[in-house]
Amino acid sequence: MSGTACQCQEIECAEVEIDYTLLDKIIRDDYGGNREAMIMMMQAIQRVYRFLPEAAVKYLSQVIEVPLTKIYEVATFYASFSLEPKGKYILSVCTGTACHLRGSGGMVEHISKRMGIAPGKTTADMKLTLETVNCVGACAVAPVVVVDEKYYPKADIATLNDFMDRLDAE
Amino acid sequence: MKVLNIVLNGKAVTAKMGQTILELAREHNVFIPTLCDSPALEAAAMCRLCTVQVIEGKWPKFVTACNFPLRRDAEVVTDSPEVRHGRKLIIELLMARCPTSPELQRLAVDYGCDLERFAPLNDDCVVCGLCTRACEAVTGRTLSLAGRGVAIHVDTAFQKASEYCIGCGACVQICPVNKIAMEDVDGERRIILHGKIASRVKLPQCTSCGKHFGPVIDLQQVMERMGEHKIPPPNASVCPECSRRNLAIKLGKRYFEQYGVFEDEEGQANAG
Amino acid sequence: MIEATQVATSPEVNKITSPAGLDIFRKELDSKLDPNAPLLIVCCGTGCQAAGSSEVVDKFREVLSGIGWGGKVIPLVKPTGCHGFCSRGPLVIIEPQDLFYQRVTVDDVEDIVNKTILNNEVIRKLQYKPANSKEVIPRASDIPYYAKQTRLVLKNIGKVDPTEINDSIVRGSYSALAKVLTRMSPDQVIDEVANSKLRGRGGAGFPTGLKWESCAKQEGTRYVICNADEGDPGAFMDRSLLEGDPHSVLEGMAICAYAVGSNRGYMYVRAEYPLAVKTLTAAIRQAEALGLLGDNIMGTGFDFKVTISTGAGAFICGESSALMASLEGKVGRPRPKYIRSVEKGFRDCPSNLNNVETYANIPDIITNGGDWYKSFGTERSSGTKVFALTGNVYNIGLVEVPMGISLMEIVYGIGGGIPNKRSLKGVQTGGPSGGCIPIPHKIPDINVGYGKLAEAGSIMGSGGMIVMDEDTCMIEVARYFVNFLVEESCGQCTPCREGLIRMREILNRITQGDGKEGDVELLDEIGNFTNNFSLCGLGTSAANPVLSTIRFFRDEYDAHIRDKKCPAGVCKPLFHYDIEAETCTGCGLCKTKCPVKAITGEKKKTHVIDQSLCIKCMECYKNCKFRSVKIM
Repeated sequence: MSGTACQCQEIECAEVEIDYTLLDKIIRDDYGGNREAMIMMMQAIQRVYRFLPEAAVKYLSQVIEVPLTKIYEVATFYASFSLEPKGKYILSVCTGTACHLRGSGGMVEHISKRMGIAPGKTTADMKLTLETVNCVGACAVAPVVVVDEKYYPKADIATLNDFMDRLDAE
Repeated sequence: MKVLNIVLNGKAVTAKMGQTILELAREHNVFIPTLCDSPALEAAAMCRLCTVQVIEGKWPKFVTACNFPLRRDAEVVTDSPEVRHGRKLIIELLMARCPTSPELQRLAVDYGCDLERFAPLNDDCVVCGLCTRACEAVTGRTLSLAGRGVAIHVDTAFQKASEYCIGCGACVQICPVNKIAMEDVDGERRIILHGKIASRVKLPQCTSCGKHFGPVIDLQQVMERMGEHKIPPPNASVCPECSRRNLAIKLGKRYFEQYGVFEDEEGQANAG
Repeated sequence: MIEATQVATSPEVNKITSPAGLDIFRKELDSKLDPNAPLLIVCCGTGCQAAGSSEVVDKFREVLSGIGWGGKVIPLVKPTGCHGFCSRGPLVIIEPQDLFYQRVTVDDVEDIVNKTILNNEVIRKLQYKPANSKEVIPRASDIPYYAKQTRLVLKNIGKVDPTEINDSIVRGSYSALAKVLTRMSPDQVIDEVANSKLRGRGGAGFPTGLKWESCAKQEGTRYVICNADEGDPGAFMDRSLLEGDPHSVLEGMAICAYAVGSNRGYMYVRAEYPLAVKTLTAAIRQAEALGLLGDNIMGTGFDFKVTISTGAGAFICGESSALMASLEGKVGRPRPKYIRSVEKGFRDCPSNLNNVETYANIPDIITNGGDWYKSFGTERSSGTKVFALTGNVYNIGLVEVPMGISLMEIVYGIGGGIPNKRSLKGVQTGGPSGGCIPIPHKIPDINVGYGKLAEAGSIMGSGGMIVMDEDTCMIEVARYFVNFLVEESCGQCTPCREGLIRMREILNRITQGDGKEGDVELLDEIGNFTNNFSLCGLGTSAANPVLSTIRFFRDEYDAHIRDKKCPAGVCKPLFHYDIEAETCTGCGLCKTKCPVKAITGEKKKTHVIDQSLCIKCMECYKNCKFRSVKIM
């Protein structure tokens, strides 16, 4: 275990207040406590907190009686789950083939460099999480960048710089 | 039951319906190397080292011997040049991860591996999944295969020392490359995975001699998982050594007291 | 004021209690339709939405409602699924004239309403002009991109409002289901599907009829599962179907359920497709309300309930056993068993898994018969296939063509050819499990079918078709796909996991200029090993992008390794740009475009690139009108 990753998580754990009534609603009411729906419960929990807080996962484990280690296995297997808190904005660069051919790789590199974060990571001020997505199916307007579900078609370095300038100004 | 006619490496043999190739081969003393197979666990076919060729119709196909069920007459070739070549690559690739494993070193000699081809990754784990499957079979609460793709690794939940481990040591025993360690120190048992503590299990203290022992496996829970409910939990207060000695004393009293060999310390002991 | 009488307003929900009732309901809806009512169809597929079509819809509604219509029929605005012609989006089609407007922005809306709708005046600048032509083509159906396609599966997409079931019913949805429930036995349904020679559209091409037959033979509870975990990068056929015509897919599943004897269906939809999930959820609810899905369908006693399950971002979950594990709420690793899922799949029960496009083909096969379906396509590959045409080609989008069509016809006839005066180098099909077909230089052309693609070292796959021009480095393409798979492999079996790691290592060093003699042979050795020894379909095809590029573009590998050159000018350490003195006119465009001021030169004199400053960003190369910037 890398000490830093863990510390960061523990700090966050302490900060995030878990609403157990809400968790109960998700787990028991929406999905009937059905283990087969575990992935969807986890998605619902992630929609609430924007990541999967350890305490919430532990609670899920107790209620549906699935060992914690099994839920952790699932959470680390599927790319859409995050065990670390995400930034205020989530910027995803599409790295599907069409976008790749039109230079999305260079754009990821550019953001990484300027914001000082690797893909999948969040800036220290918790403003921005940089992600890559394998294809959003908008190949005609490649390369595509998605910020919080808004698509930026035919994005280029200038679009990204604009966005990051605004972010810096905030 | 239907008997199948199998040609195993050119020799005509018979197999039972649904028998795996590995079982058949062992029956006939044909050696097929394995890394991720254990007779106690369901086959996972992860290491692929046991790959052989089988011809059921026209064309030979590559299948894993550990889990391929024979369901019709077939020809099986366990050591063709193609098979040997594939195994050689598997060993070379795994040796790059885990160069110190005696098991792999032996296989590398057998298969004439070139150990210079792949740069070492020195990861110390061949991701055979035996430990996680063994853990799953016992309690299913501590180890799992976290991550995916190149990042797959054996881990505990949230990379923290597990609160749920019972310290049974099955993972330690079963690891084919001996990379999971176990030590009993300071009144606790530690399982050490990738050089860090994966679990700490408090060891009980013997009420008789005062030494730490154990751990007391939650046998009842294990039995329940296996569908056995009648077995009472073991005595958790006395270490096995003392327990053996106490029993010897008890038996000794019962049979030899009349000869005056034993001094009666506890008058009621005989009744037990 | 008269509302346009498209069937958009939901009537009182009355359950349809007999198959004949469906027919009556459809006729009733149809009688309310006025074919001459003005209609504004706005494409709201992902491509158009990314280009702002939702805003266009809102603006249309706003503008239209602000006008006094005084007895005239108010035009209806209908947002639909993907029309397919994504590179020209946002698209607006005006009915009944079939007028095609492209690249419509919010600013154009008032003009369209005032000129075209109110005064029948065509706006020329929004009309379609093919590349290299000055003639506009006013009508959508005359545009070669559409005219040259054969739209069977996509027939409703772009025509129906996917959020309104009546709009689908009026075009015939659920009539095939009514037909099987009243006039066909399950065996007859299977025979009809088998007769159509429909093969699985998910990639492997297993005969659908055969799969259904083996599932029907099993005992016990059976499940019908739809694989909507479309993960190939650059492929979005299934997404468009789910978002544009959900009822065809649901109807296909229901027919399958009837044929194999199941009453439970599951749809596994990729997490990255939230709109598809939303559309499907609404579609199922509407169909259940009308008694077309759920319990006692159309009063026939047949039950079929569909549940949607979402993936969580794992390409491997497109593999059938991994998908079923994921449906069970587990980690999506392929199952290490030699048992087919039609025998033991989801919850260890017999499960029939087909892909979205396969199910969407079913209603028409039932309605028109297997012989009709077979009349499209070839002997071995019948029917049509939807492809997502992307990459270096003019017309990007979805195309549906009969099997057996020439690949050159897709690229040039439908796709409109290669932009920027570049030439075609190859077409990649089948995504990360496929290969690059070197048309037109090494193979003049190929008929697109399961067998022919396999002969060329590729696969049909789910339908991704990526056109690559001369500026594409094939080694970089191989590296891209291997890199994708390194992350997307489940990692459980040695050959796939370790083989991919090593192939990536080797390809990385080749593209960095550190390739060694023997690297290609080593790639070939590892690739063949991975393809033979891996556990699942992903692993046993993982090396295809590498093996196919070695087979057809060996010279490029050699150039990288021996000459330390990237002929396509992609691998940065392996090329530099130079300006050719003979052709340079000294126009100065490159000098203006260069972001690092590496180009110097006087007007009308040959310009020069300072190699120490150049970052190889391609701007000068891309912009030079005389092609004087050369890759060296």
